[in-house]
Amino acid sequence: MLTRRRLIATAGAAAGVAGTAALGVRPARAQGRPFTFVSWGGALSATEKEAFMDPASKKLGFPIANTSPTAYAKIKAMVEAKAVEWDLVDVGGRFIFQGRNQGLLEEIDYKIVDASKLDKGWVTPHGVFTSIGATVIAWNTKAFPEGKGPKSWKDFWNVKDFPGARGLYNVLYYNYEAALLAAGLKRSEIYPATDEKVKQAIAKCRELKPHVKVWWTAGAQPPQLLSSGELAMSSAWSGRILDAKKESTAVDMTYKDGIAWGNAYVVPKGTPHKDKAMQVINYAISEEAQLRLLPLGTYGPVLGSAAAKADPYQGRKLVMHPDNIKDMLIINEEQAALYSTKHEEAWKKFQLG
Amino acid sequence: MVLTAARRGHLVTAALLLPALLFLAVCFVVPMAVLFKLSVTAEEGPLSAYGEILGNWVYLRVFWNTLVVAVVVTAISVVLAYPTAHLLTRLKGWALTLAVYGVLFPLWISVLIRTFSWILLLEKNGPVNRVLVGAGLVDGPVQFLFNNTGVLIGMVHVLLPYAILPIYANMLRIDLRLLLASDGLAASPWMTFRRVYLPLTMPGVGAGAVFVFLLSLGFFITPALLGGISNLTVAMLIELMVNERLVWSLAAAASFLLLAAIAALLALATRFVPLGAVLEAR
Repeated sequence: MLTRRRLIATAGAAAGVAGTAALGVRPARAQGRPFTFVSWGGALSATEKEAFMDPASKKLGFPIANTSPTAYAKIKAMVEAKAVEWDLVDVGGRFIFQGRNQGLLEEIDYKIVDASKLDKGWVTPHGVFTSIGATVIAWNTKAFPEGKGPKSWKDFWNVKDFPGARGLYNVLYYNYEAALLAAGLKRSEIYPATDEKVKQAIAKCRELKPHVKVWWTAGAQPPQLLSSGELAMSSAWSGRILDAKKESTAVDMTYKDGIAWGNAYVVPKGTPHKDKAMQVINYAISEEAQLRLLPLGTYGPVLGSAAAKADPYQGRKLVMHPDNIKDMLIINEEQAALYSTKHEEAWKKFQLG
Repeated sequence: MVLTAARRGHLVTAALLLPALLFLAVCFVVPMAVLFKLSVTAEEGPLSAYGEILGNWVYLRVFWNTLVVAVVVTAISVVLAYPTAHLLTRLKGWALTLAVYGVLFPLWISVLIRTFSWILLLEKNGPVNRVLVGAGLVDGPVQFLFNNTGVLIGMVHVLLPYAILPIYANMLRIDLRLLLASDGLAASPWMTFRRVYLPLTMPGVGAGAVFVFLLSLGFFITPALLGGISNLTVAMLIELMVNERLVWSLAAAASFLLLAAIAALLALATRFVPLGAVLEAR
């Protein structure tokens, strides 16, 4: 969430806007630059370049520049200054709705993008999900050896039978879902997010608060804090833990009770390459492209037919594999965007005392 | 008309100042004006963003927390910097070079990297705790991280050079014969320190304190990574408003309120430490 690089990017974007606004210049730089795709960096960017962007460039016949990291503030700055330099951006699902509400996004052109084979939950008017990860329960294997690990958010909240320091994400997002599941709500009862349920979720977090040693802010933290033994158990991004497991045996995770979410592609409003962006999205959700995610083993395909072709070893790592997704909650990003904004203050109060 | 010498002097001064003034106007004054405009163009009315922050217990609490942390960090930094700077004035040759590098070297490493390094050093099973437990100094690992202690350690480490350097520069310029004179007039070493050396170093201390204080008000990486859930700073709030919530008028208003608070505090400080002397200490 917080990186210095992002702050610098934001400051740069803000200064850029201020500069152009002040001088009354409307730059028309966009025409001369290549089609530009932006994502979060790290394992995700590497996966997307290899599975989607390089083959798409070859197939569609135009060069694609890959860059990172995604910054929502920069999208807002570019669109409002009418100087869009990003044509296709990987964002968290919440931003589809936040960006739509602020008028920052083009509508997806479903005449070009064929989303008929995707599960409806992954298709929205202003963004399409292209790969899937999850917020999962992860732990240190010395604290909980094979077979003794937690299997639900109820276990996560149960400090008597599962002792040890906990880690949770430091915003309401994801904690809302986890806390309500721990409180015994059924998956079908999590949404819509009423004021009452938000209150209940925060109260449930308050109950665990004395045992939560780290409220993490960056996806890189949980695998590090778990493998060093600083934490016994933490919520974490599945891709980060799968990646860490390639190098270390000290961490493990379960998809049981996990909260599935996707990486979504959106198109900033006013891009000169709108049609190309639609073609690239269309390619990214094709079976040919989605199958390439299987051997990479971090973020899985959004396309069910591609997930079904995984071999048993690959399948265990995929969110969308039938054995995994049946025990998981799929996040409702529109609801999450709503409760995150509306109850921001209540969460900050919870943070302070 | 013939230019008098004085008039020519003014012109030269103006010409010399021009580049700096232009730079400031384009890179500072104009963006500040745009930012101010942003802060008064919220949908709900011109002053609504300011009202939302000032009328909200959560935001005010975060402003207060930020100031308290800045004051504590400044106090610790100056207390640590003072003897260090004094030691620097006594060193010569390679020892001085080594010590100066020791002070300056951290400035060349990214704050993010230094912050992560502290996590590795101070964690429960990290080297510091292993030494403490191994030597029998403590019963169990000390919780250095994810609380106020972590934030203070991280911030003081980053900001210490900004306190050491002005104090050192100030101490270098002190005429040591004054100390001899004090000694010759039968003052005790403590009296000499308190009545002669300390007052002469106060401009340096003031400059160092102002630098550290101002810089520490803008911290957000260190408290975000080394602090606990309640270690919220204004900079973290602004970051959230800019990047996550995309409410820029609120972010702009928060920035101006922080600026106003700083200006007020500095105005107050000048009553005790003459700012002119602080600048001369550089």
